Amino acid sequence: MPEDPITFAVIKNAMDAIVDEVAYTVIRTARSEIVKDVMDYSAAICDAKGEMVAQAKTIAQHLGAIPEAMAAVQARWGGQLEPGDAVVMNDPYSGGMHLPDIFMFYPVFEGGALLAWTVVICHHTDMGGRVPGSNAADSTEIYQEGIRIPPLKLYRAGVMDDTLSAMIGLNVRVPEIVLGDLRAQYAACQVGARELGALVRRYGADGMRGHLAGLLDYAERMARAEIATWPVGTYRFTDHIDSDGLSDDPVPLSVAITVVGDGTLKVDWAGSSPQVRAAINSTLSFTKSNSFLSVRCALRGDIPNNAGVFRCIEVTAPEGCVLNPISPAPVAARALTGYRVMDTMFGALAQIVPEIIPAAGEGGNTVVCLGGRHPDNRPFIIVDMISGCWGGRPDQDGIEAITNPSQNLSNTPVEVLERQHPVRIEEYALVPDSGGPGRFRGGLGLARSYRLLAEDAVLQLRADRLRFAPYGLEGGEHGGAAANWLGEGNAREAIPGKVTMRMQRGQLLTHHQAGGGGHGSPLARDPEAVARDVWNGKVSVEAARRSYGVVIENGHLDSIETARLRGQQQGERA
Amino acid sequence: MPARIGVDVGGTFTDVVLALPGGRIVVNKTTTTPQDPGEGVAAGIAAVIAEAGLAAGQVTEIVHGTTVASNTILQKAGARTGLLTTQGFRDVLEIGRIRTPGMFDMTWRKPEPLVPRRWRLEARERTAADGSVVTPLDAESVREAAAFFLAEGVEAVAICFINSYAHPAHERAAAALLRAAAPQLLVTASCEVLPEIKEYERTSTAVVNAYLLPAMRGYLSRLQQRLAAIGITAPVQVMASNGGMIGLDAARERPVFAVGSGPAGGVAGAARLGDGIGAADLIVFDMGGTTAKAAIIEGGQPSLVTEYEFRDGISTPSRFVKGAGYMLKVPAIDIAEVGSGGGSIARIDAGGLLVVGPQSAGGDPGPACYGRGNAEPTVTDANMVLGYLNPTALAGGSLRVDAALSREAIARRIAGPLKLSVEEAAHGIRQIANVNMARAIRAVTVERGKDPRDLALMAFGGGGPLHAVNVARLLGIRRVLISPVAGVFSAAGMLAAEAVHEFVHPLLMPLAQVTPALLQAARASMAQAGHAALAHEGYAKETVELRYAADLRYAGQSSQLTVPVGDFAVAALHAGFERLYGETFGYTAAGEGVELVNLRLSAIGRAEGRIDFPSLALDARALAGAVGERLVSFARGEAPVPTRLLPRAALADGPVHGPAILESYDTTIIVPPGCTARAAGSGTVVIEMEAADA
Repeated sequence: MPEDPITFAVIKNAMDAIVDEVAYTVIRTARSEIVKDVMDYSAAICDAKGEMVAQAKTIAQHLGAIPEAMAAVQARWGGQLEPGDAVVMNDPYSGGMHLPDIFMFYPVFEGGALLAWTVVICHHTDMGGRVPGSNAADSTEIYQEGIRIPPLKLYRAGVMDDTLSAMIGLNVRVPEIVLGDLRAQYAACQVGARELGALVRRYGADGMRGHLAGLLDYAERMARAEIATWPVGTYRFTDHIDSDGLSDDPVPLSVAITVVGDGTLKVDWAGSSPQVRAAINSTLSFTKSNSFLSVRCALRGDIPNNAGVFRCIEVTAPEGCVLNPISPAPVAARALTGYRVMDTMFGALAQIVPEIIPAAGEGGNTVVCLGGRHPDNRPFIIVDMISGCWGGRPDQDGIEAITNPSQNLSNTPVEVLERQHPVRIEEYALVPDSGGPGRFRGGLGLARSYRLLAEDAVLQLRADRLRFAPYGLEGGEHGGAAANWLGEGNAREAIPGKVTMRMQRGQLLTHHQAGGGGHGSPLARDPEAVARDVWNGKVSVEAARRSYGVVIENGHLDSIETARLRGQQQGERA
Repeated sequence: MPARIGVDVGGTFTDVVLALPGGRIVVNKTTTTPQDPGEGVAAGIAAVIAEAGLAAGQVTEIVHGTTVASNTILQKAGARTGLLTTQGFRDVLEIGRIRTPGMFDMTWRKPEPLVPRRWRLEARERTAADGSVVTPLDAESVREAAAFFLAEGVEAVAICFINSYAHPAHERAAAALLRAAAPQLLVTASCEVLPEIKEYERTSTAVVNAYLLPAMRGYLSRLQQRLAAIGITAPVQVMASNGGMIGLDAARERPVFAVGSGPAGGVAGAARLGDGIGAADLIVFDMGGTTAKAAIIEGGQPSLVTEYEFRDGISTPSRFVKGAGYMLKVPAIDIAEVGSGGGSIARIDAGGLLVVGPQSAGGDPGPACYGRGNAEPTVTDANMVLGYLNPTALAGGSLRVDAALSREAIARRIAGPLKLSVEEAAHGIRQIANVNMARAIRAVTVERGKDPRDLALMAFGGGGPLHAVNVARLLGIRRVLISPVAGVFSAAGMLAAEAVHEFVHPLLMPLAQVTPALLQAARASMAQAGHAALAHEGYAKETVELRYAADLRYAGQSSQLTVPVGDFAVAALHAGFERLYGETFGYTAAGEGVELVNLRLSAIGRAEGRIDFPSLALDARALAGAVGERLVSFARGEAPVPTRLLPRAALADGPVHGPAILESYDTTIIVPPGCTARAAGSGTVVIEMEAADA
């Protein structure tokens, strides 16, 4: 129990409000679409030691990477910071994630001593390198991916450093936008500092230090208390990425989660694939971040989202593996690996807290990039993300058409896409029968198709789960696999998950996102729920019979036939 | 002699305000009748007429804020609704925008679409983004859909085709075919509501409209019958989400405009009241039993949004979260709402933290002090314990309460476990509620690039005047205004509204390509529609004002700004956009392309006999109150202070310095130490603070 529970509760709420205000300032002042519209950024406040005390409701995946990045900043600049300074970094091998994500750390001083940090991470539109957007999956060295920034001061006492800003500006394709977004990061950091200052005036610097520490202890205490109730043991799970795109070899990720019994967890990634040639390697900081957020999903709701929770979790991955690569391994498209880290974590966590963890969802959004020229020769680039679904849950169905839990992305309206680019979307729909059968059904996958209206274009596609479909749990079956096709109807041809190729005018690209895994035996599903799915066209009559043992005749549930068929199937499956 | 009546149906009470020329008003508070809210409405109206000594025939107009639309959605009690879409897009409604409102919550439930997948059918047709036809409408596919809808017992159908904003011909033709094939179906085509780009938002809006049609029509018909039964034949106007009124016919056709009807009256009233006392820029703070709401008024106009998400009860004020409700792309007052009200329950969570709300004890059983069986402490109980509220009776003596029950609830549930004194715990409950409410205000000010310290805070609602000064201090606001008739101000505010009809003309083209001829043609067609809509409601042309605006954005951005348009010239649009962009976002990108997304028209009809606050004659009850003294604990850890109790009328004799409490039958105004209350005209009380922090 905190010493002064009232003030403590007030400060907790105030910190949540401040960090949201920091995040909102980013949106208000940023220049790029990826920050302003897609909201690929995040904000946090850390205490003097660098532990995250509060985080905004932004990209979850970023925040668990702060400790590693903060350590690099403090190692380089500890004791050499002054009010108004801001340190930036993006180097994946100094605690960063991939080059487009620039961290900004802004120290907040009170009475000459460090009180806290405001931290803003933005995905920048371009960091130079061999392809626009600096995000290619098929690079083979980090040197191809763009400019690497070790922890350096971008601002000194409120003034932007000419040397560093000129260096960044010259190396990126859209310097006004990148430097504009960096200014937005700085403006937002200042807002955080200003509001923290207002709290200090009310509660005193020492009081605030105590409260920040108290918030971390409080979250740690709650997390520990809950983890301490988990059954002691080591729980293992392996999931796969189809391939890195350069070879056909599957990329396994293997985790062992040890519940120690004292309220802590050890998460060990030994046994995962060695680092790969293509850019899906995930730095240790990103691996940790996704490991943390997976555990966070397994904890109950009212624990504050701060680093107190991280204190209970130790994450290790052998050097040189795909989850802790050695420089200069490329990392730009590590997001996919991050999704699979979560899927793998969930597979192990489901053995520990089966009442909370869902079966696998789609496994990360598919990215469709189409680049070419309008009839009047203006260039166009479409970067479209296709989200998916959640798997069946221990007490309810999965969700269809939903962001991956590690993100919080939106979609681009069809009408906006068609208005701006020479493409026609001919379908955006749920894929019937793609939800993994189970007592609680996995969410359906999404279909989206693109007809090219320009003369030709380069297609870059990053999809996964074509081979390793999302797993089911507790006897639930896997969800439908993802698929890519080029062409129409029966004449369409399957194309690989990760591909770079030319498309011609009039050609139709169709993607089916994977469906979520089912939870529990499909034979235990309420026949009425199956009938409802059939009524809604989410499950076909044939699949109801085949997968669920449920007989629908002329639109009506035939209970007697269903009981007979289920009995028969039970026997066959046993 | 216009005798106008404003009616606000809330969750607990139905408030009725009758206003007569010369400033006399009569108010009534009656219990809401959830089965058919019209019953309580008619009862309240009968009561005010009787008290005013009027005959029913003397009532000239009734302005109605109704929660029928919002409750129909919340209770899933709308029509069996079907949806007809373009081939390939039956699931747009269910797919939505993909985001979730929270993080790390694997138990979340996505809101069920209002139309099940079975009743979402596809027509063979396709229009391109430039409005050209790719696939002509196949009439047979529409007729097949009509037959299926009928066979399934569907009552209402929404139609939304891809790119219909650019060329609505297919939607119109399909609507005509459906109506011809199945005359009993209620049909809403998306282009008949507001034809804006973005298929999900437009589909969702049309679906909600169709879904509400039978409920709204039924309610309004029954209400008219009930009113006729008591002799009232005056026209009924419905408050729309944007703070304007729409006529009965419009409300019957487009009920989606009335989903935010309930809270709009107070904001419209605050704008009108501010106008009367020279306060054109205000924060509106309305604290009721379950939630507190915040909005802002700038230059005398409520700040609007062009789309919002309607969701169950409590909305977090954070702007990052979407996906928890039903998207409505219709103009609405920008209101942020938090789950803090007088009835909000205080509890201790698993980690030992004190939490207030969003669960509420409401009006029944109500706070512990009501003695109706609720033993959990609420914000009202905290106010009781600290001496802010009369310890034996509320609402001018009509509601008996027992402060000892408040004390007991707080002692047992909060103070004991946290090892605090009861007073300390009560301060804690108040303070946490205040911080939550300040957050709602931040959402409509700071998050919109506006500094709350530049604005005065106008408070009303049952709890507003009890908390206003403390909430203001949290935000650095120095000036608080308490509205007259604070307890029924939303109903009074309805009488301040003007008739407003909204139109949109989608363009989405580079501003550089917009020609004067195009602008003039758009303006002319919108003006004609605006005049026609208001003429239908009986507004003569000279009482009509046309207010134009344009939605503009930098090329490639998806978020747009709505800029008022005075001069229909490209250069003026450009300049207006850059100015507003600079104010909102702190920079401009001069030299970057600007796109014109939509032109908008608000066609406004000046209502006769709008409530005139400066001439308001408050009745004796509103000015009377107890005289005496009570001990009030204003600050945690400090001894309670003997505090004068004064009637509101005391302000006529000069300023009142805090600590003081102004009690009247409908509200309790707290004047803390260091603050001074004055009469500010129009029945308003202004409280000025010496120090801005606390």
